[in-house]
Amino acid sequence: MIKYIKEIFSDIWNLLLGMKITMINFIRPKVTEQYPENRGKKQPFERFRGELVIPHNENNEHKCTGCGICMINCPNHTINVITNQITTEDGKTKKVLDKYMYDLGSCTFCGLCTQVCPQKAISWTPNFEHAVFTRSKLVKQLNHPGSKMEEKKVAAPAAAPKKEGEGNETNVQQ
Amino acid sequence: MENLEKIILSLAPDAKIEENTQRFTATIAPEKLRKVAEGLKAKGFDYLMCLTGMDYKDSLGVIYHIAPSNDEANVIVLKTSTPDRETPNLPTVSDLWEIAYFYEREVYDFYGIIFTNHPDMRRLFLREDWKGFPFRKDYDANPALNPIPEKVPSVESFENVPTYSIDKDGKLVKKEYPLFSKDEYVVNFGPQHPSTHGVLHLRISLEGEIIKHIDPHFGYIHRGVEKMCESMTYPQMLYLTERLDYLCGTMNRHALCACIEKAAGIEVPARAQYVRTIIDELTRIASHLIGWACMCNDMGSITAFIYGMRDREKIMDIYEETAGGRLMVNYYVIGGLAADIHPNFQNRVKEFIPYMRKMIKEYHVLFTGNPIAYGRMKNIGILSKEKAVALGVTGPSGRASGWACDVRKIEPYAAYDKVNFEEVLHQEGGTFDRYMIRLEEIEQSLRIIEQLIDNIPDGDFKAKVPAIVKIPAGEYYQRVENARGDFSIYINSTGDKNPYRVKFRSPCLSLITALCPLCDKEKIADLIMISGSMDYVIPCVDR
Amino acid sequence: MLELDKFIEWIHSSLLYLIGLDWVVSLIEYVLIGVAFLSLYAVLALILIYVERKICAFFQCRLGPTRVGPWGLFQSIADMVKILLKEIIRIDKTDQLIFKVAPFIVIIGSFCTFGALQFGRGLHGVDFNVGLFYMLAISSLGVVGILLAGWASNNKYTLIGAMRSGAQLVSYELSAGISLLTMVIISGSLNLTDIIEGQANAWYIFQAPLPALIAFVIYLIAGHAETNRGPFDLPEAESELTAGYHTEYSGIQFGFFYLAEYLNMFIIAAIAATVFLGGWQPFHINADWAASFNGIMDCIPTWAWFFGKVFALIFLSLWVRWTFPRLRIDQLLKLEWKILMPISLVNLLLMAVWVLIF
Repeated sequence: MIKYIKEIFSDIWNLLLGMKITMINFIRPKVTEQYPENRGKKQPFERFRGELVIPHNENNEHKCTGCGICMINCPNHTINVITNQITTEDGKTKKVLDKYMYDLGSCTFCGLCTQVCPQKAISWTPNFEHAVFTRSKLVKQLNHPGSKMEEKKVAAPAAAPKKEGEGNETNVQQ
Repeated sequence: MENLEKIILSLAPDAKIEENTQRFTATIAPEKLRKVAEGLKAKGFDYLMCLTGMDYKDSLGVIYHIAPSNDEANVIVLKTSTPDRETPNLPTVSDLWEIAYFYEREVYDFYGIIFTNHPDMRRLFLREDWKGFPFRKDYDANPALNPIPEKVPSVESFENVPTYSIDKDGKLVKKEYPLFSKDEYVVNFGPQHPSTHGVLHLRISLEGEIIKHIDPHFGYIHRGVEKMCESMTYPQMLYLTERLDYLCGTMNRHALCACIEKAAGIEVPARAQYVRTIIDELTRIASHLIGWACMCNDMGSITAFIYGMRDREKIMDIYEETAGGRLMVNYYVIGGLAADIHPNFQNRVKEFIPYMRKMIKEYHVLFTGNPIAYGRMKNIGILSKEKAVALGVTGPSGRASGWACDVRKIEPYAAYDKVNFEEVLHQEGGTFDRYMIRLEEIEQSLRIIEQLIDNIPDGDFKAKVPAIVKIPAGEYYQRVENARGDFSIYINSTGDKNPYRVKFRSPCLSLITALCPLCDKEKIADLIMISGSMDYVIPCVDR
Repeated sequence: MLELDKFIEWIHSSLLYLIGLDWVVSLIEYVLIGVAFLSLYAVLALILIYVERKICAFFQCRLGPTRVGPWGLFQSIADMVKILLKEIIRIDKTDQLIFKVAPFIVIIGSFCTFGALQFGRGLHGVDFNVGLFYMLAISSLGVVGILLAGWASNNKYTLIGAMRSGAQLVSYELSAGISLLTMVIISGSLNLTDIIEGQANAWYIFQAPLPALIAFVIYLIAGHAETNRGPFDLPEAESELTAGYHTEYSGIQFGFFYLAEYLNMFIIAAIAATVFLGGWQPFHINADWAASFNGIMDCIPTWAWFFGKVFALIFLSLWVRWTFPRLRIDQLLKLEWKILMPISLVNLLLMAVWVLIF
């Protein structure tokens, strides 16, 4: 009988302790993010993989050579690199990037493309607002219209890490 | 090793012992399988770690990874195969190791190997009317063969359970029996149900509130991850691992990275090893927080659920800053890490540790001490140690039953051999133990992180890796302790840039297997609670 | 000052002056009272839904509704519009008549209670001599609706929910009844006016501190259980039975269940406030030195006292609801039959002895 009463009191005490915890949280500052209001104030971290981009410099130039390694490595065919063959002034035929098509809708954000890119021509931006009304708008052309490849200094390819240089050749052979 | 050889040769003198393999491997004839299996079971090999189906092109085979539960490092790999491709059949081992009940159904589903005397030879993941066996190398993937049905047949139409046995003339005989009798009150639990933790479908036979029998249906999110891996290169495969058990993605990825690194002989820098260990433990904390929170939610305490999610958010922020992803972290690559740690990483983790310790105290007052919660969890769903071993229930749930099955202790990987931590063990195996062990493991994980966070060595974060990763021909098996148990990866390579066969050992499958005996004669409310305490994740089961 | 009984008397006298015929005036007044109660019912529901969402959010470290209007004040109005516009899905193989009638039974059960509640001095519909008994009886009517809804839906989950609800209501009605009976000993009347008048000098909970406090706590627990909320929400147990007895309902039919649930919470709190905390009576200290204090307390209008007490009790109920996990069915019955019932029976005796001695 005494045990029965004791148990009831200890149970009530424990319940009250639990209620104390919720009351502490009742007066704690709240953690809700007021999303559209705090837009611009709170950005995702800089490394956040929100969307694939080709950074362009002020002369509308990018670094992509159109080698297609990213396309080959992409596990679910999100990237489609379309290239043109052009003849340069000195008579050599050269492959240049025509369109870099990226399907945001099927991207899994695994980051393999940016890891394998020998030119470091593609990168991620933390932009996370992807909502559009039709699925076709998710397929984006990443190279700006009229842009062309950045003229590299001759030393640049040699300075690139050797293993990536190898990767370039072998991957293309596949 | 020699000892294992002796055991096998005494059971089957003509067994072929393979040389130059990672683990002790023996090939035996299918007729000898039963005898060897029974002998091994009698010798104390009571844990069937993994059962893998294989298509060797000329024959269909099965690989058994068997170990004694008290000495798990002593793995015996048994192989057997049958050249028959029309009606391949092998004897079942599901009466020796209960977990084989589901494993063999999976092999039947993917390879069409019939296990004779198995009590239930239905498919496990694919629909009963699926044509062909997709993991066979000669499988015809023509969509016209398996069109999307206009009208989905009801579940009841698949409730005739076939079993096969071999009669006196050596012929395969098929028998069928109904799963439920006509007058049973069968409730469909899922696939759309708020507390099955994913798209799990349980058919429950009820008597009032009391559960009589549970029949799980899987495969609602079966994506064929293992099959996909066979057509991918090794770096491409990595992203799939995080989509298995999305709550401990980094650990699964760690398993695959470690397996490939070991096979290809890549030395991972110490810095990467340390960071991997820290990130793994953070994932464990995050996963256990979700496990705790969901269990509270299953028991009706939504407030506790929100608290768990709130605190997990801090870990997600750490991930986002360093790795760029939140749920799919994508941080480990073959040879190390995708990027160096963010300069803020150490500070954030150090802030997080005392915060988490304070919150765990609150959790205990809020929920552990609550007489309603304690009264519900006490003495419900007791899993004995023997049963846990037989069902292959590893991880926190296995340790709650007193089975020391922590892979971090048995086969230390990354930096786990450099830290001090306790393997938390409970003896009773009740729901309350499974609940408590998660909160206690969070504390141990904090301890591990505390030891490592200030001692991350300088140096490279990634080893030099050839552009095309190829691993030498052979078989590789890597175990990792993820937040739900022993997550292992088996890779069979022919030396190509794609693997020949990849198998993920899902710890969650055995947790669901254990659900059925645990909930026998309990109430519906207990089923929810026990499944919460098991803390399974369905994509890991369905793969 | 801010008392509404003067206002009501003024309406009555001016109607009498304008029309002159007694029975016409009465008829008009009945309609007016009906409309007043209906609007009170709806407004209270809206307020309660908002309050619950906001308080629940605060307990969970969230902000709750913030979008519709300042601090999300119009959220429940938006919800109401939405629920009125939603399609009522007709389900095959249900018992159509019972399926449609069940929500009405539930809502009538809770609405009728309003007739006897005393919201302030002179602010009540009917003054019964068995008011307390009437309220207990009519508020338990809802369970019939729940049982019918669970049965008529022809769904296995709803049936389990309804059966749980039946078992729960039948058991908890007992200790709720007995704890109110305990207070009837001290008041000596079932008439709500008498009960409230009896607390003019000191609320019953202070008149007989020990037994009244025990009865108060038991009534709160049992009443909480009767509303199917908080740790006692087994009939709808969303993590087990998806939504329990109202799984198959949609649109305004679901809205009725939802309204009734919130209003039942109000009713339980109102009965508790009436019987234990003096209804609309201000807080008085029964001593000579406290006359000026009592005077200040009298300045606050009686209806504010009533609603203040009720909302304090509702806050308590929400606090409990958002802290505790759900009970299992056997724990639920054990709590009633092994703990609450014996204690309330002993308490009844204790109260009788108390009244005899003091």
